[in-house]
This record gives sequence, structure tokens and C-alpha cells, in this order.
Amino acid sequence: MSEDPMDRILDAVRETYHAPGRTPKEAMWEVIQRGTEAAPGDDVIDLTAVRNARPVRRYRSYAWAAAAAAALVLGIGIGRMTTRVGGDSSLANAADGVPTSLRFAAAEHFGRTESLLTMVRADARQGRIDPMTSTWARGLLVQTRLLIDYGSGAEPAMQELLEDLELVLVQIVGLAGSGSMEGDRTRMELELAVRSVEERELLPRLQAAGRPLGFSGA
Amino acid sequence: MQLIERASKGDQQAFRALYDANVDRIYRLAYRMAGEEDLAKDFTQETFLRVYQRLDQFRGDAAFSTWLHSIAVSVVLNGLRKVDRHRKRERPLEDAAHVIPGNSPVEPGLRDRIEDAVNQLPDIYKTVFLMHDLEGYTHGEIAETLGVAEGTSKARLSRARAKLREALGDAMQEYV
Repeated sequence: MSEDPMDRILDAVRETYHAPGRTPKEAMWEVIQRGTEAAPGDDVIDLTAVRNARPVRRYRSYAWAAAAAAALVLGIGIGRMTTRVGGDSSLANAADGVPTSLRFAAAEHFGRTESLLTMVRADARQGRIDPMTSTWARGLLVQTRLLIDYGSGAEPAMQELLEDLELVLVQIVGLAGSGSMEGDRTRMELELAVRSVEERELLPRLQAAGRPLGFSGA
Repeated sequence: MQLIERASKGDQQAFRALYDANVDRIYRLAYRMAGEEDLAKDFTQETFLRVYQRLDQFRGDAAFSTWLHSIAVSVVLNGLRKVDRHRKRERPLEDAAHVIPGNSPVEPGLRDRIEDAVNQLPDIYKTVFLMHDLEGYTHGEIAETLGVAEGTSKARLSRARAKLREALGDAMQEYV
């Protein structure tokens, strides 16, 4: 060891403070890959298939984006009207930096997402998943991303909740999009999705976030 | 840049190449910051998933590695805040299950004091200290990752070291 007291301290810290072992590269990649399979942009696998499918995929994607954007704008519009009529100053005070109209749209979104997650959790107990879940989750995913991009960053708690929702919805979209619930892998993925919901405490957080405006879906 | 473009279009091989090139540093940093394998794995996975979802937003103004690291630091710090909140509710169980690794030649008493001293550092000092002194990042890399000036990174490191010297100086005399 070195004679310099600071060097001795640094040597000891390097050796003892959270010294990492070998990187579990493959185990982590497996999880990441499952997540990316469900994410948008996973269509570059077979060029021919992609070229053939592209017009349909684009149409669907734009349709969802348009529907989600319309819902978001409608929510914001309703929020503005309600704010004028109801004059709910407590909401504005509760979320400095986030427009009340955006908060209104977010609360409505949280209520619908809570309903979806409650349904997925109930389905998981029976080892199945409703075929409509993918369509529903995809719309909510697009709207979640719109809300993230729209400026929820002004309120860290809302931003965190939306980012957690984004990750779980990506899992659900991929899972429900895979079709049948046959096979251990799909069952395991459903369990992982439900575990994510529970570990991130999403349902209570969604209920708390949606409650001030009465949009809780459960 | 070519790899990033391909990965942003969903090319898994290109994304895997980016992962291979960066995962060790990200995992090591996450582990240093989190102190637990499971958390370090979760944070690393979440970092790469977010990067994948946002690759189309990467404009190339900074190095890819810098962008990746800034996402990683944000994921880890936010994640640790959530874990802390959760643990405060379950403190008795966690304390009962807490086991200190026993394969280090450093005295257990000193090890505990080091753990406490580093944990006591505010996040802004601790992050710079862990990146620079434990993981070998340059001040330039740290500054870009954290979005601060190099001088700020140096000042934070100096402050972190001073606090550690203050907290551990007498212990080093006693144990080493």
C-alpha cells in the first residue's frame, strides 16, 4: 500500500466498496432482448417480409398514434374546460410546473391503464391473456409516450410513473401480440409482466395519481 | 454511427454489438452505485431498454457512450431513490438479512466505516467519486455524462475526497 493516507483510503475503498464481480452479460441480454422484441422498430428481421408488410404496419401505427394523440388532445381540452368551470386550484397547486390540462389528461390515462393492468393480472392468474389486450395496450403505450414527450418532466413523480408504465406496457404489447398462451416461455413472460407491475407498485401509484380527478379505473 | 443507425431500425445484431461494447462499464458503474447484483442487473437492463427505445432520438452531438452513460446514471439514481423509499418501509427485514461479504482482507470494522462514509456522501459527490476514483472515468467523460463543466467535476471530486479523508483518516491510522 502507498504511504499517502488518501491513497491508502482510496485503495481500501476500491477494494471494499461495492466491488463488482463478473458482468452477467448473457443473462441480462436475454431480458433486454425480450424487451426489445416488444418495442417498436423490431420489424427489421426479414427485409422482404418487412417491405410487404410496411404499408399495413405504417397505417396501423399512424392510426394508433392519431387515436392516442386525439385522446390526449381531447383530455387536455376537457381539462381546460373543467379547470375554467370548476376552478380546481388544488390541482394546480399540487403540480407546479405541469399544466392542469395535462394533469387532467394524464389522470384519465392513468385510470384506463389501471383497468388494463388489473385485467392482465386477473388473466395471469388463469394462465391466459385476452387477445384484445395487445390492441388496448398498444394504444395506451403510444399515449404514455406522448404524455412523456408532452412535458410531464416538470413533475418528477409523474415522469417516473409514466416511464415505469412505458416499460410494463412494452412487455404487455409484446406478450399479448405473441398470440396464444401456449408454452412455458409465454407463461413466464406473463409472470414477469405481472411481477413488474407489482414490483413497481404500479396499481397503487396509478390509483393515487388518478384519484384526485375521479378517474381510477378499478 | 452505422451501428447506431442499424440498431435504431431494429437490427438486433447491431444493437447486440453496441451492448457488447458498453455493457461491462455500465454494469460496473451500476454495481458500484447500487451495491447489489440484482439491482445492478435491473438498472443495466433498464438502461439498455431505454436506449433501444430512444435510439432514434440520438443525434450524435455527443459520443454514444456518453449518451448511454447519462441515461444509466439517471436510471440508477432514480432507481435507488425508489428502492430507498421501499426499504424504509421494510427496514427490519432488510437489516436481518444483511450479510457483509467476508472475502476481503480489509478489517470488517474498517469495511463498515468505509461503507458508511461513502454512503454518507451526497449523490452529486458520490457519483463523481465512484466514476473517477473507483471506475477510472476521466473528468471530461464525467462532465459530459452529468452535463456539468469539467471544473465542476473536479470540484465535486475534491469535496468527496475531503469528506472521506475527514471520515476515514483516523480509521486508516488505526486499521492499516
